[in-house]
Amino acid sequence: MIAEKTTQAFQWTYNENDQEFALHGSLRPQNAEELSGCISELEHSVANVSGKFYVNVRRLVRMNNVAFQAFACKILDLVHGRSDLNVHVTTSSVVGWATRKFAVLETMSDKITVSEYDSEFYPGQSFVEDSEFIHVLRTQTKLTWHHEKDLLRKHGLKPGMQVADICCGIGDFAVLMQKEFSPDRLVALDHSKSSLDYARQVAADFGIKGIDYVFGDAADMLLEDDQFDFVTCRHSLQVFDRPELILKELFRICKPGGRVYVSNEKNSHCLGEPRGESIQWTYNEVAKLWHHFDMDIEIGPKSRRLMLEGGFEDVTIGSFMVTSTDGDPQGFADVIASWKNLFAGKMASERGDDAAFVERFAKGFDDHIFAALHPKGYAGWPIWVASGRKPL
Amino acid sequence: MDYANGGIEMPATSEGSLPRPDLPQMLQMDLDIGDFCSNWAHCDLLSAYLARMVSHNRLDSLLFSNLYSSALNELLETVFRVHGKSGKLECSVRRRDGLDRIELVFPADEETFRVYREAIEKLSGGNAEKLYLEALFTEDEPDASLGLLELGVDYGARLSIDRTADGRMCLVAELALEDEKE
Ligand SMILES: C[S@@+](CC[C@H](N)C(=O)[O-])C[C@H]1O[C@@H](n2cnc3c(N)ncnc32)[C@H](O)[C@@H]1O
Repeated sequence: MIAEKTTQAFQWTYNENDQEFALHGSLRPQNAEELSGCISELEHSVANVSGKFYVNVRRLVRMNNVAFQAFACKILDLVHGRSDLNVHVTTSSVVGWATRKFAVLETMSDKITVSEYDSEFYPGQSFVEDSEFIHVLRTQTKLTWHHEKDLLRKHGLKPGMQVADICCGIGDFAVLMQKEFSPDRLVALDHSKSSLDYARQVAADFGIKGIDYVFGDAADMLLEDDQFDFVTCRHSLQVFDRPELILKELFRICKPGGRVYVSNEKNSHCLGEPRGESIQWTYNEVAKLWHHFDMDIEIGPKSRRLMLEGGFEDVTIGSFMVTSTDGDPQGFADVIASWKNLFAGKMASERGDDAAFVERFAKGFDDHIFAALHPKGYAGWPIWVASGRKPL
Repeated sequence: MDYANGGIEMPATSEGSLPRPDLPQMLQMDLDIGDFCSNWAHCDLLSAYLARMVSHNRLDSLLFSNLYSSALNELLETVFRVHGKSGKLECSVRRRDGLDRIELVFPADEETFRVYREAIEKLSGGNAEKLYLEALFTEDEPDASLGLLELGVDYGARLSIDRTADGRMCLVAELALEDEKE
């Protein structure tokens, strides 16, 4: 029965290496006794630990006061009873009540700390959630839409659908979809608060209604299963160290028979003439730079394999090239300038690159811009688009 | 941290303040209290369902729905535990702008009413937070009013109770769950 599923659906796991006890799901028991299995496992885990014990409630979506009281009292008991033990509780900012609720533990003992998980979980998160990044995204979408508008149709997007754009960034793509395809429902999710604020502001300024911008973690969304006819995720599998986990979530929220649409780059294939060699050198380095931060900006052509392995059927993949001859060479140059700014700026310096490297690295971007704006030049940025159907 | 009440001053007040009729109603559900109390999971199901229904059009529908469901669930769990013998449970939800109101009307004898009155009295004193912590970290059986205390202290909810003409009682919670930016 559904009733049982919703109240009983919670699990716990213990990771001995990290001394971390994690609670997942929904915890709304009628009596504390229903938790005894979990509580005794918690006690058992702590018994072999000294120093810091981690309690991870990031994926605990619901918790009533019966459960909270049982765990809170147990945690307090533990630190009172063992002088060698500290407890750290990690909450998630996505689950609205969690941080406030657990924060009371800190007031009860200075051996308990509570903090909201933030940017450290994904290696590249601090870059892509940076507000500077907004500029990069805005310029990019202007150029890609030109191609994607028709592609979306070919991949199955139709008016009146239930649509989700996951890792929506500043929401400009959602706005374009809203205008072009008038979906019945459009949810746009991202984990960057500054991007979402920006998105909501733009929607309000332009009087665009009906886009539901939500804060969330693509790796573990609060969205329910089997909701959407069409799920898009653009330029984003490439920012995660484990893209297959994101794809699994996209699959989960997609209706059986619906489609998931992803677009990804392979930056080393960016090209331009004149000055082709310098350009190529730099973009090869871009791939290595992203790799250094455990992100894969080369995913593009791997999308097909990812989708097939993710359980999709009827997988189609294709590519298109944004070029300086699409009608907006300056727009193209702006995109490259924003990449230069981020890649040869913050990212390179964070990796600890020396001045000589950064100079040569930056020059490739300048040459790409040069090629884009040259009257006889040509510059390109290739993008792979894949979609697949969730089996019925 | 007080992102629960979005900076709006909402002290918990005591019994007697009748529900203002000025908030438009969004939904109402009527159940038999006996049916409702036949299965604990009804609290979870009902709160999840209603939360989903009222969370469109919010600044962040998922965050809102999660908070709303948590708050409503505590109210329903409390009613599940503390209520009079037989009769109807009505749950109605209202909203104006950033203010949400949940109204629960259910059978209540004097003893039932007293439990709610005492919980609300605790909230209206100056030491509500201390009382909440005491209730939370008690050695004894958990207090039936723990959920209500949490709503008042943690969610900045304004709770009130009253008697209805037909001898039941009405429990009202007013909540501002979102930081309104616009
Ligand atoms: C390269 S951008 C792509 C944005 C947008 N799809 C576009 O094409 O303009 C990657 C996006 O993923 C978001 N992101 C990163 N980690 C995330 C997570 N765990 N959950 C949801 N979004 C995340 C970032 O905030 C960023 O907006």
